[in-house]
Amino acid sequence: MVDVQLSDAEKVFILHGVQDNCREDGRGCEDYRHLEIETSVMSNTNGSARVRLANTDILVGVKAELGTPSPEKLNKGRIEFFVDCSANATPEFEGRGGEDLATDISNMLYRAYDCPNCFDLQQLCVIPDQQCWILYVDILLLECGGNLFDATSLAVKAALFNTSIPTVTVTKDEGVVDLEISDDPYDVQRLDMKSSPCIVTLSKVGHSHVVDASQKEECCTLARLIMGVTEKGTITALKKEGSGSLDPTSIEDMMETGRRVGESLNKCLMDALAEEERQGTKKKSLGFLR
Amino acid sequence: MPTDSRRLTGPEETKSPYAYVKQKKKLQVLTGKRHDGRSPETLRPIFLKADVVSQARGSAYIEQDNTKVMCAVYGPREVGRKEDFSMKGIINCVFKYATFSCRYRRSYQQDSEEKDMSVQLLDALEPAVCMHKFPKAQVDIYVTVLQNDGSALAAAITCASVALANAGVDMYDLVAGCSVRIADNLVLVDPTESEEYKSQDDNPVNHGSVTLGYMPSLYQVSAITSKGEIEFEVIKKAINLCGNTSQTLYPVLQKCLNNSRFSLSLRFSLSLVRYHFCVQF
Repeated sequence: MVDVQLSDAEKVFILHGVQDNCREDGRGCEDYRHLEIETSVMSNTNGSARVRLANTDILVGVKAELGTPSPEKLNKGRIEFFVDCSANATPEFEGRGGEDLATDISNMLYRAYDCPNCFDLQQLCVIPDQQCWILYVDILLLECGGNLFDATSLAVKAALFNTSIPTVTVTKDEGVVDLEISDDPYDVQRLDMKSSPCIVTLSKVGHSHVVDASQKEECCTLARLIMGVTEKGTITALKKEGSGSLDPTSIEDMMETGRRVGESLNKCLMDALAEEERQGTKKKSLGFLR
Repeated sequence: MPTDSRRLTGPEETKSPYAYVKQKKKLQVLTGKRHDGRSPETLRPIFLKADVVSQARGSAYIEQDNTKVMCAVYGPREVGRKEDFSMKGIINCVFKYATFSCRYRRSYQQDSEEKDMSVQLLDALEPAVCMHKFPKAQVDIYVTVLQNDGSALAAAITCASVALANAGVDMYDLVAGCSVRIADNLVLVDPTESEEYKSQDDNPVNHGSVTLGYMPSLYQVSAITSKGEIEFEVIKKAINLCGNTSQTLYPVLQKCLNNSRFSLSLRFSLSLVRYHFCVQF
């Protein structure tokens, strides 16, 4: 990941701040930084979103294609995540530099979405055993300012909220199945993604833990707990990352915090998305994308 | 692993016949009485042996009934990429299912699941290894699952930590892996393949699995992963059970290392000296 050089004194400063629940930018331990979300930013996609979490900037485009279902899931569609670490974010990502980070993020997303209650894949089925929608969720990291996992999951959820799939009519004529895909931009189906998870990363700094760690704070942490949390507070994926180990009791504390934060994060996101949709075409665009 | 264009991979469009077999009702398997007669909290019998690959610096082989995993540790050697200079050592982990090890055939190249497993394995082992003891050098850990009958990651964690110790790499503690399957209010330790959580059979809430890497003498968790949608209280219970079960594995690991032919930590140190000597001249 992007390297920030911190001296020991700076690390101690951050550590002591976290102990007193006051972080280097004045936040408490369970506060997120300023978050901007914008949906339908790309016209060539079925759904798109851009998330800016302080300095982290992420662009997600969802494209739906028709394909054949995999043999073990014949009545379901598929969702696939691809993360692209753009060299714009940091020169270290040039060439294959960002590949490890990209697979880490896409695997985590895949695991978090891999349960039937959080994202119903049956809604992507067109003809059982034969045709289904495959959702390609492409994630582009434009700027890295810490906490990539959380920001990515928020952007993915927002993009899925924004996704609409053209209506397909299936006609059977003398045993020949015919697919007719509507080209009317308003004849579309929205996805049911209300219960899809958000990822919450908890970084252990000293004896406490923080959510939404900035790049500097990420330097001071040896172990992170990454968890997928749904709006109901259930945990869909769990992962420890980093070279440090954790005490079982502190894992419990971190999970408790993660669940609490995740629940409200999901709620805030859905509220914001509903608000944006209510504004319709009158909304002002925030970012550099026009 | 690079693509080998010369390898004959067979026809592209083949499908395993198992995909078309009518599935037995999954929930039948998940009762308090397990099909191999174990109680929910019992592990399968374990066979663990160190020093199985003669040319590796250290190696180990583990059998949990029908789950068979072997691991070899090579190194220390020069770090491949020159820019990766660090005063800490680097561990490189490769987790691979043998192509014939699972119900479905695996490909020669690492798929995304195996890559994910490699990362999880690395996360599990890194906290246990004294990384500062081999600066500028790299240690390679290769794990191959020969036969998969469930809990392969847990077995791989245990096996790899024994192989590292067998190689004489300085460690703070061993790591014991344990996994559980959560099915409503039932928690099954060390699930077999038929008991394992699979996302394709529509599981309701509180169905999933948890794998834990535990350092038994430090009482620390070095890795934790979960699959499936689980409530907080249930996952907490599962983690505790995993920790306690891993603790019972510790004597097995110790005994295995005592029985291995070379239990000298000298072996690694000597090779480290030799490595740094070579680099200097």
